[in-house]
Amino acid sequence: MSLLKPFSKLPGLNTANILLVENEEQFQQKLADTVVLQEKTVNVNVRLARSLPLPMENEESRPRIDLVVFIIHLTSELSFQSAETSLKYLDPGYFQGKVCFLVTSARNVSVPPERLVSVRKLAASLHCPLLCAEDQTTEGVTTAAHRLLAILKVAAGLVPMATGLYLSTLTRCTVPSDIDQQNFE
Amino acid sequence: MGGSTKLLLQRLIRRIPYQMLQTMLGKWAHLSNADLHSLNFTQPKWVLTEHLLALCEEKGLTVKHITELEMIYIIENPNQGMWHGFQLLDAEEDAPSIELTQFKEQFKANLTELISHVSIKIKKHTDEAIWIRVAWGDNFTKPNHLKPTYVVHHLQTPYVFVTGMTSKDKPLLNQALVLATRYGSMKDAHLSGRNLIAIRDLLTRQYQQVFPTKHPKPLQEKNPVPRNPNIENEQPENTENRLQMACEAFGDGTLPQLQKAVYKLETKFRDNSNKTLTGRKEPFRGVVEFSSTNLLESLRHCVSSGMASTPVTPLLSSITQKGRNYFVITDKGV
Repeated sequence: MSLLKPFSKLPGLNTANILLVENEEQFQQKLADTVVLQEKTVNVNVRLARSLPLPMENEESRPRIDLVVFIIHLTSELSFQSAETSLKYLDPGYFQGKVCFLVTSARNVSVPPERLVSVRKLAASLHCPLLCAEDQTTEGVTTAAHRLLAILKVAAGLVPMATGLYLSTLTRCTVPSDIDQQNFE
Repeated sequence: MGGSTKLLLQRLIRRIPYQMLQTMLGKWAHLSNADLHSLNFTQPKWVLTEHLLALCEEKGLTVKHITELEMIYIIENPNQGMWHGFQLLDAEEDAPSIELTQFKEQFKANLTELISHVSIKIKKHTDEAIWIRVAWGDNFTKPNHLKPTYVVHHLQTPYVFVTGMTSKDKPLLNQALVLATRYGSMKDAHLSGRNLIAIRDLLTRQYQQVFPTKHPKPLQEKNPVPRNPNIENEQPENTENRLQMACEAFGDGTLPQLQKAVYKLETKFRDNSNKTLTGRKEPFRGVVEFSSTNLLESLRHCVSSGMASTPVTPLLSSITQKGRNYFVITDKGV
């Protein structure tokens, strides 16, 4: 199986690489543009993919990926399933602070609440942070980009005294034990 | 003017929106210019209606004239009510050479033979379409002008579009049309919608079609976005292919406006997690309905943005390929 490995390549100087995985390929483009524009001090490279595994042809030219972000649209069940199947192609080394889940349309009334609960459970079981983003407005995209950049810089080792694993123990998603009984009456 | 005639005129004027009323009356040509000037179009509509009724009564206009006005209105604004498409089959030898007067005579003769009390009006529109208005009565009652049927047919094409038809009148209309156009039979094309031009374009494949090509470059070059060198796509072929496949399945540019697609399922229930319903011998009857203000546009967007998987499933692409929006799906196929 062609797993994506976190430490098999050398890092670049003052460089951070982020991989955005999204089944619908809509939000990732906007996010990529904003991330690249926002960051001035560090050289940020964004790779876009629909799902894992990544094609073998790009293996040589691909830099070391510091952070893998799975973008899940809660309005589509297919989005969640595609992210779940892509998880299998990640080396376990990534789950120590180098994976993040980004969820959109969490406030949408037509979205079944069970889906957000399943995403939370998935993120909690993998000890990864779960971010909620608003993808329809520019402020939402900017905010999401800002947060991702903060996590990316730590995961790439560019922040002194902080590592991805350390940050993830603080930011990882937790699920309260009564989440299945939660109702919003 | 009799009571029913007055009622017909009142209903018709109520139906026509105020802004269009002046142009419609101008086209009608039964009111002279002086009469039109005497009508004050800034008054409230009910006042104007009274004046108009009085004017028509003076002139001694009959039902025939009023139905002319209705026909003018409907031809200008055909998108009211549901239009259904029909296809004529088994053309006889002289079907391609039918011309207008022959068709008119044949149709009127046939229909009046079948029912004695029927009112027919045939008009040829500028775009070569023949519009027929039929008001149905039966052997004992006069034709009911409040619920007419409209038929649109382009001569020398095997397609007919009908609105306002009841199941009682259907066989009679079918027979008259089939005999007048010199075809063997008429079958339902299973295509219906509110927009007449959309139905017509879909059946006659007059939308902008895209044909499969080995070199997808033409569609790609339409929007060459300057790529940021820091952003790279790992799986680019997917995005390029999707737009091409979406356009191949549904067409390019502006698409005919369809409102619904209905799939009637008569297939067996197949889901291993549900033991009670799986394994029954009778088919599980269900209906899947897609509806939207512009269905083909939404489906094309679903495919090109990745929401629906490519290649496009034949269930969806047969809406445009076969020109229908009502499908019955059995276990052996569509």
